[in-house]
Amino acid sequence: MNKFFIKKLSLLSFIFIPIIFLWHPDWLGFLGVQPYWPLFWLLPWSILNGSINGLIFGLFLGLILDSLTLHDSFTQIPGLIFCGFLFGRIKLHSDILVGHFRYGLICSFGSFLCGTLNYFQILFRNFSDGNSLILISSVKNILAQVFLTGFFAPFICSQLIRMFKFSRRKLQ
Amino acid sequence: MLDIRRISNSRWWHKKKNWLLFAIFLFLVFVRISKGAFYKDLYYFISKPFWPGQFQKEIVLESIHKENLIKLNLLKKDNTRLRRSLSIQESSNDYHISAAVISRKTGSWWRQIILNKGAKDGVEIGNIVIGPGGLLGRVKNTSFFTSSVTLITSPESKLGVWLDRIQINGLLVGVGDDYPSLILYSKDADIKVGDFVSSSPASTLLPPNIPIGIVQSIDETFKSKKTAKISLLAKPHVIDWVQILKAKIE
Repeated sequence: MNKFFIKKLSLLSFIFIPIIFLWHPDWLGFLGVQPYWPLFWLLPWSILNGSINGLIFGLFLGLILDSLTLHDSFTQIPGLIFCGFLFGRIKLHSDILVGHFRYGLICSFGSFLCGTLNYFQILFRNFSDGNSLILISSVKNILAQVFLTGFFAPFICSQLIRMFKFSRRKLQ
Repeated sequence: MLDIRRISNSRWWHKKKNWLLFAIFLFLVFVRISKGAFYKDLYYFISKPFWPGQFQKEIVLESIHKENLIKLNLLKKDNTRLRRSLSIQESSNDYHISAAVISRKTGSWWRQIILNKGAKDGVEIGNIVIGPGGLLGRVKNTSFFTSSVTLITSPESKLGVWLDRIQINGLLVGVGDDYPSLILYSKDADIKVGDFVSSSPASTLLPPNIPIGIVQSIDETFKSKKTAKISLLAKPHVIDWVQILKAKIE
């Protein structure tokens, strides 16, 4: 039983992403915006398992998270697929400290990418309304999310990578 | 060599005590420059439990609350009677479900709350959700145990509202921030900051007269429409308990 849990540690942790996404703790937020939680899991997973796995799990994550949110104006799938694929091309850095900062920067970039894609989808959907006020709140959302995701990524991604590596080593 | 080391050790900046004194001095300079603001604030928090009149204030507030409730009931009765006599649509407010907010997304791309009451408790899609202050949103999705509510701040929310002072209908549209936009399709509408906004009697989605918000600022007139920002009375980011209103709209 214990062996099974260690073996499937990375997949079991996947289950917790939607829970954290729903939990949405206010005290972790900035301007009411939360870090983009799925990227914290997707980055270590894609780095260790490659682009194709990243792409597939990006899709899975997008599907789950879309089902939890009510928004019909946009979907998170394209952003997460793209991030999953992109993260899979990145290799681990030998220097731990540099690696830490890299996770922050990569996740910030991923968050910016997903946020921009969300914004363009909303803009395209509401184009006929001519509602320019959405722009202000969207820019705020993107910037706050990029900052928070970049801030928390070094702490969370490093731990997850260690956990996933441990799980793989046991597997071998 | 030894002599040099001895001399360097005896410098004033090598002594911890001196640094401590310097820190205290800096703190005092800060206190002086801020005119004691730090101390005053600290005192405010320390003395708060001992303030006189706290207990009295509660008694007075309770009395006012009771008085308001009695007035409200009288007004409700009057309102129902008048609505009947004028044959205006009536809302049946007799079925409320109390629910707790178990997930809250009020500040990001998503503007939704999830409640701990679902289909098993009789919650249906389209039910109205109100909190202390007024309208929060509408149920968009239900599961067996939970229901998801689209807040009126969400860009997906579009509701008919009523401005009582100028007796005009408008459209309340969420723009993704905490202040939804009110659109009036008349550039001559005499809207003013502070005007009260409630649900429209003409709305097919909401029962009439549910308080929504207050006009916070008025934007420039654009083409044939006037827009304004609305400050909501119910604050979704702090409310923990809500009422699901199963009103039938005729």
